[in-house]
Amino acid sequence: MTTLDTAPPAVPQARTTARAWRTLRSSRTALVGLAIVGVHTLIALLAPLLTSYDPIANDPSHALLGSSWSHWAGTDQYGRDVLTRVLYGGRYALGVSVVATVIALAIGTVIGCAAALRGGWFDDVLGRILDAVLSVPAILALLVVVTALGTGPAVIVIAVAVVFVPQVVRVVRGAALAVVPADYVTAARARGERTWSILWREVLPNIADVVCVEFAMRASWVVLLISSLSFLGFGADPPTPDWGLMVAENRTAITVVPMASLAPIIALATLVVGLNLAADGLSKAWGVDRIREGS
Amino acid sequence: MAPIVSVNSLCVSYRSGGRDVPVVHDVSFEVAEGRTLALVGESGSGKSTVAATLLGHLRHGSRLDGGSVRVDGKDVFALSVPELRRLRGGTVAMVGQNAGHALTPSMRVGRQIAEAGGEVPVLDLLEQVRLPRPADLARRYPHELSGGQQQRVAIAMALAARPKVLVLDEPTTGLDVVTQRGILDLVTALRDELGLAAVLVSHDLGVVARMADEVSVLRSGWVVESAPTRTLFAGAQHAYTKRLLASVPRLTDDGLALVGENGEREVRAKAVVDADAPVAVSATDVTIDYGTARAVHGVSFDVRRGEIVALVGESGSGKSTLAWSLAGLRAPSGGTMSHGSGDLAKPARGRPTALRRLVQLVFQNADTSLNPRRTVGDAIRRPLRFFGTAPDRRQAATRALDLIRDVRLDPALADRLPAQLSGGQRQRIGIARALAGEPDVLIADEITTALDVSVQAEVLRLLDDLRRERQLACLFISHDLAVVRGIADRVLVLRQGVVVEEGPTEAVFADPAHPYTRELMAAALEPDPDAEPFVEAAPEWLDAAEPDDVWADHGDGHRVRRWRPASTSVPEGVS
Amino acid sequence: MLVFVARRLAAAIGTLLLSSVLVFLALQALPGDVATQILGKDATPDAVAALRKQLGLDQPAWERYFDWIKGAVHGDFGTSLVSGKPVGSEVAQYLGNSALIAVVTIVFAVTGSLVLGILAGLYRDRWADHVISTASLVGMSVPEFVVATVLVLCFSVALPWFPAVVLYGPDASVGQLLPAVWLPALALAIVMAAYIVRMARTSVIDVMASEYVTTARLKGLSTWRVVTRHALPSALLPTLHVIALNVAWLVGGVAVVENVFNYPGIGKLMLTSVQNRDLPVVQAVALISAVVYVVCNLAADLGAMALNPKLRTRGRT
Repeated sequence: MTTLDTAPPAVPQARTTARAWRTLRSSRTALVGLAIVGVHTLIALLAPLLTSYDPIANDPSHALLGSSWSHWAGTDQYGRDVLTRVLYGGRYALGVSVVATVIALAIGTVIGCAAALRGGWFDDVLGRILDAVLSVPAILALLVVVTALGTGPAVIVIAVAVVFVPQVVRVVRGAALAVVPADYVTAARARGERTWSILWREVLPNIADVVCVEFAMRASWVVLLISSLSFLGFGADPPTPDWGLMVAENRTAITVVPMASLAPIIALATLVVGLNLAADGLSKAWGVDRIREGS
Repeated sequence: MAPIVSVNSLCVSYRSGGRDVPVVHDVSFEVAEGRTLALVGESGSGKSTVAATLLGHLRHGSRLDGGSVRVDGKDVFALSVPELRRLRGGTVAMVGQNAGHALTPSMRVGRQIAEAGGEVPVLDLLEQVRLPRPADLARRYPHELSGGQQQRVAIAMALAARPKVLVLDEPTTGLDVVTQRGILDLVTALRDELGLAAVLVSHDLGVVARMADEVSVLRSGWVVESAPTRTLFAGAQHAYTKRLLASVPRLTDDGLALVGENGEREVRAKAVVDADAPVAVSATDVTIDYGTARAVHGVSFDVRRGEIVALVGESGSGKSTLAWSLAGLRAPSGGTMSHGSGDLAKPARGRPTALRRLVQLVFQNADTSLNPRRTVGDAIRRPLRFFGTAPDRRQAATRALDLIRDVRLDPALADRLPAQLSGGQRQRIGIARALAGEPDVLIADEITTALDVSVQAEVLRLLDDLRRERQLACLFISHDLAVVRGIADRVLVLRQGVVVEEGPTEAVFADPAHPYTRELMAAALEPDPDAEPFVEAAPEWLDAAEPDDVWADHGDGHRVRRWRPASTSVPEGVS
Repeated sequence: MLVFVARRLAAAIGTLLLSSVLVFLALQALPGDVATQILGKDATPDAVAALRKQLGLDQPAWERYFDWIKGAVHGDFGTSLVSGKPVGSEVAQYLGNSALIAVVTIVFAVTGSLVLGILAGLYRDRWADHVISTASLVGMSVPEFVVATVLVLCFSVALPWFPAVVLYGPDASVGQLLPAVWLPALALAIVMAAYIVRMARTSVIDVMASEYVTTARLKGLSTWRVVTRHALPSALLPTLHVIALNVAWLVGGVAVVENVFNYPGIGKLMLTSVQNRDLPVVQAVALISAVVYVVCNLAADLGAMALNPKLRTRGRT
């Protein structure tokens, strides 16, 4: 008996995570993006060690100073060190965004998968409701919730999560729909497996990459939205160090101390660029075309 | 006479993962005017890459490493952009594999043909490719045409500028046999009429035997053998070519062909099914609907333990629908389906686990039937645990390795992901997974369609071995009559959801009595340039079955749906 | 084809009704009683009850909903709790001002981004693509208020070409507002274009790699013809929906940008009415946003029908 049927060169045992990591390492874009986000996270965590100033204590005698050795990025109108506030600012932006994104993604993934797997009327009704929710601008919904329930981080986290769930559902549903007709899902159905088991064993592992990319991209949107909210005065309460709020506070003095506005802008932009690069790189490395997924 | 196409020591490589992978090595051939050369090979042989170079085309990421391609005296890779444009269409034209993808979806087909240039009016071209009502057809969009019509349009488009060389890249792959025969006849006629030279790329040795004057056999980018068609088919020199030829199933085989290392061919006699073998699964008057469309209409059959029953038909005949319904994936709308230990009319979820495990389905496409994120071992262990055939984790692991061995694979593959296996290996794993439930009924839905011919031979043999070892009742779905002849004990021929002929394989092939069966057999191509059609072509016919008189009995279980010759001749139908 | 259009239209109206219910319910569910808010904490219970009756708050929610919708269909959105003027005409005035920005933004963002996106897709992995892709990545990484602030810094402070803030009220004439339109429009266009550029690029790359584009090339057609006739109709299809979503996004986007420039548009109105808890105005603005969203998506679907004969000829074969 002949064997014309040869296997591709043997590869040592490969686990899914190991493979994901290998492809990830091959993408410079993703690595750069993740590195930027990592640096931001570190800075936010280590902020108290990196600076000796207090981010919220006023010091009128040092108001509106330019860059100097003692205040690298100058001080704002209340005499607070700008650099210190920028370093601390990442805590609010990252903390709120990450928690909100995780919640939105968790809920959205479950609903999206269920819709794809169930189909039929459940999918139709869900589609209508999501469309209706999406038709109200996110920022308006957030403004209303915040004015009604206050600006505490918990309120913002929940509001942002709710606003973003429909979009996550759409993306995940689209990705899951591509997986559901596959024969291995059919095989599981023919075996008589429960819906949950199919979801967990067959569908989720195959859309994990989409969900990861979605996380990075959604997080970048959440960061932008929350900073916009703070800028408008509906987000972080003064004197919390927050980048959006800092731009709003220092914008009027932009000609006097430009660094007070520019520093938080640079911090914000680099974080979002990092997230976007990570999303881009991951989607390319894993073959997920996130834009086509209908964001 | 100087050759119109001459390829000299062509080398092409493809850039992948940061390094160059050579895909074509030192390929040379010539084609004289009016002659047809076939490039034959299995997947990954580089045949399509070579064909595209005749038009000066390389895939994104591919690079010419050496050699030259001259067409009509010009070196195509040395041409300027305007010259290359004149060459394409004007001198060489290409007909691709899948016309459904090759036609621009947003443009009417008439316009697409017209812009290919040339003085021949579009309607004349459409008439030339034997399409009915050309004026109406030219105004349609590609999606409004059938697969055969799309391929004819693609041919008309290629011929529009009256080229001298036609490149045909798997022009009939994916089409039904009868449609394929029509397209091949058309290409032959046009080639002779217009005096074209042709380069045909194909994996199908039947197509090659019928069309080509000369053949080059490619394997992994190397030419292993070149010879005039008759010489090659009469006495191939290279062992690979011999094995390839020997692996092709034939309509005349009355058993499974076993192929040796050097292409020796031995037909193994079929296993004898015990006269008192119990019926494992039986269907009576099964009807299946898709919305208002009826896919399967009143089909009945029994499959006994140790027996292989084949359902044969073209696409749309309802054969796969029937298989899926039996596997519990779609509830029938009428009739009964039963297994020795229970009712099969209910969908999988409604069946008791013990019954579900006894009826198992193997899928057509092994690439999509295994979860790409789970190891092969996982794929087999899951049903072992789910059906309780292995009581605990440790035993499941051992049993999984046994099953992998049972399908003649190395148990070390258990830790691989499906993407790390070849197509044939994946299909074997698909079979192993189906066997995990220790079924007595196996439904094989076109399991060799996506495989190369040599791999197909091995998988067929495995299936035949397994049914002997395990006394499996096997429902074998296929469109390929030659495959069916070698493996099945009984055959049902389906046409548009209706059985037109059924009986023991030998009886049906010895005396095909229904015109549709004859049509299918006449259209099948044998790997032999001098092959006569297996049967005479069928007359035009009409269905003549009455509710109380459906069958004409030919004895020994061979029966044929009643029909009568059509009195008036129907204009040539183009599918 | 008519069936298809009719079905889409019915779906659009359904979505609209559903979102009006959602908006209404969400605002009803807000804590705090409107009457108490208007009259202050010290109001007598009698006065509150009288005001509730006057505002119709004593009726069941579904009746108030139908009254509201009935009025909305006729352009009557009730009375503003703050200014006491009819909400309909007030919103219309602000909306008109915003439309000025929106038209300029859409014209520049859509045409510009399509051209850039298609160029980047066609010259994939060359320098033009790298420049465009990087610029669009930056564009989508910077929030609107930052773009607006930077633009003010450049074109109002450094180069005093445009006004940094608008000093007119909502009743300003087009002539008065015109000089102030450009910077907000530019800020919005930059953010919006980034997404469209990326989508157009991806879909052009996909389509250029398709078999039918290869076939068209191998027919010996010129690149221009291959791109315009064979590739673009299909490449624009997915882009259409992204454009629609972004146009709908403008309604929210203007909120921030108009605030930066103190521009008297719908975004500014949204902000102040939320701050003042002027529920009738908030409801009206939300409903109008929903209408914009639904109309944009409907337009994209109809556009897709024009580009895709599969949708147009459905039911003919």
